[in-house]
Amino acid sequence: MLTYLSDIILAFIVAIGFAVLFQTPTRVLHVAGLLGGLGHCIRFSLLSHDIGIIPATLAGTVFIGLFGIVLSHKVHTPPVVFTMPACITMIPGLFAYRAMLGCLKITDLEHARTHPETVTVTAHYFVLTACLLFTLAIGICIGALLFRKRSSKSLFKRIF
Amino acid sequence: MPRPDPEIFEHATASTCRVADLLLDIGTVLLQSGAHCGRITRNLERIAETWGYEMELFITFTGLMVSIKNARHPDERVARFQRCPHHGVHFGIVTETSILTWQVAEKNIPISEVETRFAKIKTLPHHPRWAILLAVGLACGCLCILAGGNWLNGLVAFTAAFIGLAVRQEVLKLRFNPMIAVIAAAFTTTMIAGIDMTMQLGHSPEKTFATSVLYLIPGVPLINSTIDLIEGRFPTAIARAVFGSFILLCIAVGMSLAILLLGIQNF
Repeated sequence: MLTYLSDIILAFIVAIGFAVLFQTPTRVLHVAGLLGGLGHCIRFSLLSHDIGIIPATLAGTVFIGLFGIVLSHKVHTPPVVFTMPACITMIPGLFAYRAMLGCLKITDLEHARTHPETVTVTAHYFVLTACLLFTLAIGICIGALLFRKRSSKSLFKRIF
Repeated sequence: MPRPDPEIFEHATASTCRVADLLLDIGTVLLQSGAHCGRITRNLERIAETWGYEMELFITFTGLMVSIKNARHPDERVARFQRCPHHGVHFGIVTETSILTWQVAEKNIPISEVETRFAKIKTLPHHPRWAILLAVGLACGCLCILAGGNWLNGLVAFTAAFIGLAVRQEVLKLRFNPMIAVIAAAFTTTMIAGIDMTMQLGHSPEKTFATSVLYLIPGVPLINSTIDLIEGRFPTAIARAVFGSFILLCIAVGMSLAILLLGIQNF
């Protein structure tokens, strides 16, 4: 339970930090934090139930994207303003770093010959990073994907 | 010099020019502040439709072209182009512009008021510098702990991100190329994160290296690129993807320089 709570709190701070960097208005900073915390917690719980990292991240970002549309109506702010920092909490920094380090190591032919597994590992992390980045983007544009050509404000007028 | 045909002047009336200028201004500022093309188009169309104009919009990453036609007087048409050289994310401007355009559509505000209010939006202040530095430092520190580092790793990541972002801002102030600023920031951050490895502070220095540079990640261009791609706006999608990837490459260059200095055999 504590791990879930600490996961939410840490992701909350991360989302607020990136929201400040992106100049999100102060009155909706807490929304970004909330979405980031909940989305990251969903991913964390799915990961701890042995679900792969890509579907888990997809579930988290889709939740952020859809719940962000609901909240954007409440606070009269475009959803992208807080869904973007919230999704950044799941950025695959570690995998990107390992891919980069692998590329750097391959530049040394001697190393690549003695450790041929470096090539496989680097390719794996590179593809994984690209997939996760694309997953993040899909979460944010889930609104555009499902409700094409309509702003979230007029969408609400149609539903309610 | 022969006088130009007076008819040309009569047809492009002052009010149509004024509307075109305002639309172009709003569009350019939105493009600079990190709005995707669908959002820019929707915002501008909201205003144009309310005031009775038919609008065509062409957006490239480095400029914007608006062409409007008065629906009641089809002879009145104006096309304008503006460059958009600098890109920096400012979601405050995106938010306020969206609210303003909705108010135009719902309450039909006069153009003079829209112009004054938009002039105010353009000068919207940034968050204070200390707040950005602190927030970004905390964000990278927390990302480090989320990735599996301990508190000491997080503390080093906090310091590295804090100082790295300060370096980036200072380099930008000296009016260097923004890519140089990214390389300098990534280099500084990785060198500071190197303290964690050389002094064996936390239990997994790898996490510190990986997460302390994340504040440089071009998340907004890359995500906007995907949104544009899905909506079929290829010129901006390609340009944004290239821009974002180049920043990623610059981060890698800065980190690689630092890693080579620290000794690659340690990694």
